[in-house]
Order: sequence, then C-alpha cells, then structure tokens
Amino acid sequence: MSEYYAPKNFNFWYYFGVLSMVVLVIQLVTGIWLLMSYQGSAEQAFASVEYIMRDVDLGWIIRYAHSTGASAFFIVVYLHMFRGLMYGSYKAPRELVWIFGMTIYLALMAEAFLGYVLPWGQMSYWGAQVIISLFGAIPVVGEDIVQWIRGDYLISGITLNRFMSLHVVALPIILIALIVMHIIALHDVGSNNPDGVSIKEHKEKDGNPIDGLPFYPYFVIHDLVPIVVFLFVFCAVLFFMPEMGGFFLEYANFEIANSLKTPEHIAPVWYFTPYYSMLRAVPDKLGGFIIMGAAIAILFVLPWLDRSPVRSMRYKGNISRAALLIFAAVFIILGYLGVKAPTAGRTILAQICTVLYFSYFIGIYFWTKYETTRPEPARITMDGGIGPLKTLGAIGIVALLVVIPIKAVGAESSHACGTIDCEPFEAQLTNDASLQNGAKLAVNFCMGCHSFKYSRWERVANDIGIPNQLMLDNMVFTGQKIGELMDIAMPADSAKEWFGATPPDLTLVARSRKPEWVYTYLLHFYADPSRPLGVNNKVYKDVGMPHALLDLQGLPECAPGPVLAANGGIKRDLMTGEDILDDPCGNYNIIKAGTMNEEEYKAAVYDLVNFLTYVAEPMAEERKHIGRLVLLFLLLLLVPTVLLNREYWKGIH
Amino acid sequence: MTDDGVNQSRRKFLLGATSVVGGAGVVGAAIPFVSSWQPSAKAKAAGAPVKVNISKLEAGGRLVVEWRGKPVYIVRRTSESLDAINAIDTSILRDADSEAAAQPSYVSGSARTMAGKEEYLILVGLCTHLGCAPMYRPDVGAVDLGGDSWLGGFFCPCHGSKFDLSGRVFAGVPAPTNLEIPPHSYESDDVVIIGIDSEVA
Repeated sequence: MSEYYAPKNFNFWYYFGVLSMVVLVIQLVTGIWLLMSYQGSAEQAFASVEYIMRDVDLGWIIRYAHSTGASAFFIVVYLHMFRGLMYGSYKAPRELVWIFGMTIYLALMAEAFLGYVLPWGQMSYWGAQVIISLFGAIPVVGEDIVQWIRGDYLISGITLNRFMSLHVVALPIILIALIVMHIIALHDVGSNNPDGVSIKEHKEKDGNPIDGLPFYPYFVIHDLVPIVVFLFVFCAVLFFMPEMGGFFLEYANFEIANSLKTPEHIAPVWYFTPYYSMLRAVPDKLGGFIIMGAAIAILFVLPWLDRSPVRSMRYKGNISRAALLIFAAVFIILGYLGVKAPTAGRTILAQICTVLYFSYFIGIYFWTKYETTRPEPARITMDGGIGPLKTLGAIGIVALLVVIPIKAVGAESSHACGTIDCEPFEAQLTNDASLQNGAKLAVNFCMGCHSFKYSRWERVANDIGIPNQLMLDNMVFTGQKIGELMDIAMPADSAKEWFGATPPDLTLVARSRKPEWVYTYLLHFYADPSRPLGVNNKVYKDVGMPHALLDLQGLPECAPGPVLAANGGIKRDLMTGEDILDDPCGNYNIIKAGTMNEEEYKAAVYDLVNFLTYVAEPMAEERKHIGRLVLLFLLLLLVPTVLLNREYWKGIH
Repeated sequence: MTDDGVNQSRRKFLLGATSVVGGAGVVGAAIPFVSSWQPSAKAKAAGAPVKVNISKLEAGGRLVVEWRGKPVYIVRRTSESLDAINAIDTSILRDADSEAAAQPSYVSGSARTMAGKEEYLILVGLCTHLGCAPMYRPDVGAVDLGGDSWLGGFFCPCHGSKFDLSGRVFAGVPAPTNLEIPPHSYESDDVVIIGIDSEVA
C-alpha cells in the first residue's frame, strides 16, 4: 500500500470508496453471525429473526447493524458513483474500473434483494413476488422463467432456501471477487482526482509523482476521520432509529408473509425505488421491464458516451454542470415517487423524470462534444473547485429541483387510521405500572384468541417488574413454564372457522401497524347490527374481531358528530358558532354501560397499547441506552483521529 | 514532503492514542458477537430447573429425568444399600470421600446427599470417563460384576467403569472421578428441584 501513490488533492467525495469497504466488512461479519441463529425455512424464518432480536444475547445489535448496513451500503455507493460522474472517473483510461464498479452495483442490488426476502415478512414476500414476476414480461418464455426461479407455483420455502444460498454464499463471493478486480484495475491506471488531470506526468527523481502521496500512511490516516464520522452516523441510526421511518426496515415487514393477502401499499426498499418508478411510469408490462433494465444498462456504456476532452466538472461547460444537477434531482425524485402510491400526477412526473434520466445519457454524447470547456491546469490544484459555500448552493439547487415538482403533484393520502385520523399516542416504556396493567389486560382480554408467540413470559416479567412467581400464578393460565413463549392453546384452524380469519399474533402488531393505529382502533368500535358480531370499527372497517373490551367500555353507538372543515378545523355554523353535526358517526353514545367510564377506558386502552409497544420491541430502552454510550465513545475516538490526521497532513500543500 | 521538521514524537503519541482508543472500540464492538454465543433465552428455557415428585418412588427404584438434555438419576436407596455404602471396603474405591468429585458443597458423606436426605441419591447419569449413561445395577452379587463383592451400583457398558450406589468410582476402571451430583434442592419432602442449588445452611 505504501507503493500506491494517490493524488494529494482528494476531497470529501473521495471518502465513499473506503466507506463502502467499511460497510462491506460490517455486512460480512454481521451476516456470518446472523446465519448462526437464522433458519431458512418458510415455517421458521420469521420466528428465527425475532429469536435473534429477542432471545439471542445482544442479537438485536447484530440484526440492526445488518439491516442498517444494507441501506448504508447503497448510500455510500450512490455517493461514490456520483463522485465518478462529477469528476469523470469513468472516462479513459478508467473504463474498466467503471465497468467493474457497475458490475459490483448490479451484484449488490441482487444481494440486497435476495437478503430482503430472508426475514419472510409481508414485504419480503410481496417484494419478491413483484420482482420475480418482472421476468414474466419476457415474451414466450417469461412464465416458465418465473416458475423456474421460484421452483414452485408460488413463492415458498423452496424459493426462500435458494435465495438464502445465493445471498449467503454465491453473491458475497462474486462481490468480493469484483471488488478485488475493481481495485486491481484502479491501481493499474491510478486514481482520478477532482481536477481530472493525471499526476503521472510530473515525477520526482525517484520516479514517484510529485503530486501524489503514498497510500500508507497518508491516505490510511486521512480516511480514519470520515470512517469515525460515518460510524457515528451509522450507530445513530442503528441505536436510535433502526427503522429509519420505515425506509430501512419497512413496517409491513414486521408481519409474517401471507400469500393470500397483499399489504395495502407495497414499495421496494428505497434503494431500488428510482428504477421501480421508471417501471411503473411505463404503461406496458414488457416496456416497463425494458426501460428499467435499460436504465441500469446505460450506465455501463457511459465511458463511451462522454466525448468531452476534459474529465472533471471543474473544467466542463455549463451545460454539463446544469445537466448533472438536474440528473441528481431526477434520480432523487424517482426514488421518492417509488416509495409512494401512484397517482395520476405522480405518474406523469415519473414519466417526465424517466425521459430526463435517459436524456442525460443521450444528451451527454452531444453536449460534451460541442460545449466550450475551461482550460485544464497542467498539474493538480489544491484550491480548485467551487468551495464549500457554492457546494451547499448546488445541493440547495438540487433540493429545490426535487421539492418543487414533488409538491406540485402532492397528493394527500387517505387517513392514517382507516376512515379517521389517528388519535395521538406517546408510549412510556419506563412506566412499569402502566406496562403491568397493560400486560394484565393483554393476558385477560387478548390472549384468549391472540398469541404473543415471539415473546417469553420470563422476559416480560423481568422487564416490566413482575415477580416470576406472581406472573405464573396470575397470568400464565395454560400451565406453561416461565421461560416459554407466550403461545395460546387455540388451534389456528378452528380459530379461522370461528372468526373467518385466524387472529393474528400480537407480538409485533405495534411495529407493523404503529401504536397510534392500535390505540385508535381499540377506541373506535361501535354497534353495527348488520355485522355478524354486532360491532364494526372505524379504523378497520368490517373487522372480524369482536369488541373484546366490551365489558369495560360498554357498547358505543354512533351519534351525529362534527365534521372537519376544509381548513382542518371543525366545521361550525357561521350564524350560531355551534358545531355542525354532519357526520352520522362523529360521536358515540354508550347504549350499554361497561364497568369503566370513558376516561378510565381510555387509560386502560393506553396501558394496553403501551404494553403492546413494549412487547413489539422489548429492547427499545436498552437500545437507546447503549446507543448513547457508543456515540459518546465515537466522539472520544474522533479527537485523536482528527489530531493525527492534522499532524500528518499539515505539511502538505 | 520530506521528513524535515516532522515532529516524530508527536506523531508517535497520536498514533498510540488513536490505536489505544480505536482498539478499545474494536473490543467493544466485539461484545455483541461474543455474547451472542452464550446460551440464548430459548436454550435457558429448555435448560430450566426441573421439578420432580419423588413420593411415588419405591425403595430400590430409580427415576430418570431430563435436565439440560442430560439424564439425571434419582435412586431411592434401601436401608440395606445405605448400610452397604457405609460398610464398603473403601480400598476398592478411587475417591471414597468424594474429594475430587463434582458435587455441590451441601452434599457430604459416603451417601453423597444433603443431611437428612440420605435415602435419595441424585446424580447425573453420565459416566465421567467418556459420557456414556451407566446402567443401574442394584442386584447384589451380580455374577458379571464380580459376584459377592458387588453390593449394587452403576456399571458403564461402554468401557466397563463401575460405581457404587453413591456413584463413587471403583479403583482400576477408566472413569477418573465419581459421578457428578447436579445442583438440587427440596421444595418439600416430596418435591425435588433439579437445577436450583439448596441454600447452604
């Protein structure tokens, strides 16, 4: 490594190569450890992931690191690729480096897709269903290929098994081999740099480039700082927002795969969504498939499309600069649209962006030939570029280019909780009294029909402060032992016969549905004689579940209530100032009293949902606690790293 | 670009400081990976203490219960057997006083039980030689086990190790130590819990 001389004017954008290596190591190590407890069968896969999250000591750190790492991989790789676009790193003589890099990107997408199937949640299943079905668009042989990939007539444990093998063995080997070739190819031609000019023309007497520095120690030390900063951000996500608002871990994936029920809204994970948007933008199955494939394929030939005499954006013309910013914005817009449900406006925007995406690659062939470039310096510069302020300005332009069109097609989604808005809910995971009451309610009113089969009695008892014997005596009715899973005796088949659907397991309901959804759901049962069980629900219309808390709440009946005005407030009579009661079910009258008044009932439901929130992620508090220590440590580590870097680089101009 | 004016001692110090803090970070990062190899909650639940009701056990009879996947023998010894244990010629035993034996501190004596519970022998039914399950052979004077000198005990069919009715190993057999006594305690006179230690009086 001390033999490799890299240009000394590397800037911020040159960190993402080494960062992708860091993520690779994280993924390999955590992946190896996950496989120690994961079971790749349709029956066990989902449960084994929860086993890792709950039963394996600190297994949740390993799992969250792997899931966060998957997204982090794409973030750094996208920025790494953007760097290549910006400084012309794909241009001769580095075509081979670019081709290997693109192949890595392709392999990485396959690896990520296969890995996402393994937890066997709803998104795993339906994501796989959509992606595999894509191959059905191929004329004549499409359906046969689809069946061959699945190895079954539907996506099943057989598919899961082969995907696991590919994800765990085949693709990592391919990825590592490609990365080695990427680096060998790079070392053969030498690194590009922000100026895009070669450092090989000007050499010292010893034959080393004047403008280069040996990789060790200079760049090794130089890279330590961004690595620590990256780890800080990575750990902040891992410990404080592992779901990243549903982008890194999709909520629906906390529900076990069900081949008979598609989730309301399915979207791939964010890193695939730009291409997914393009697929959806084309109103033709085969056409969409081709466009999606072409969008990736065209990246491979970029080195031969760019005919500019200069490499770096620093010396390219204004058209190139503007085009790059627009291209970046288009890619982000497409990514955003891909996670959203399609509407007419969004589809048009996606179509425009798809055209712009391809225009970049077609146009680059022409404008690079004819635009006027700025003169390149003979040697690299240490003060080139547009500086931090203008860089922020450019990012601002991209942000505007992204936000404005998205706002223009903004569609307000339907209510977050069925036909109504969610009631606000804030969990208190350290409030043991509330959690204990919630556990009591869950055992008494839910566990007649619903299991909590990924959670163990003992863990719950210890976490929320119930003595084990007390728990056994008062809560465990089925003769189970304290260490056992909170399963129930009701057989799933007969449950299905009684209720029309098997009552779902509730361990993760607060994660797949969100706590405020469950809270609102339990507050909005009402009498509806047309339903078999005599009740209906505003959040989950025509639900098959009886009002389990009927004895507590009593039976509410619809009464006229206020409606929301267009401005979001309550619609009032302009003359009298009184609420207009236009909603036939805006209020409730309790027609059969329960044991609790309204306030007590709300408090009881709060405790219950608080408990459900706890049991969905029992380590949530521990996670944040460890997270604070880890972040503190990384800040400490940053100090000597920064000083060390400054010490080595202070003499370099 | 030359080494002129480079503060070598400062570099060394900073390199050292970064390495030490970074090394601590690596150790810290290893914690989840190391601790995930510990028995999980599932394994612990499966290895949880076992309650056994011994009221139905007849004198001379034996119960085998599973604890942490191992057979645990509970033998209710007859008064003749207890006499035999006390009277046995200790020279044929390798460790008559169970000094090298794996057993809790609250068991003692040649009976190898808690005081007052001499009737019930509780031991892990795995030979200390190579882990076979010894056979329970209470038949005094069994011809194949040495005739008159055999006062009842355990015989391992794998490599021929012999133990008396307290699980004490004979001299001159492959097994090195007496059979292991698992942690146990009495919830009542009739119920023994394997896996939870008695409180040492």
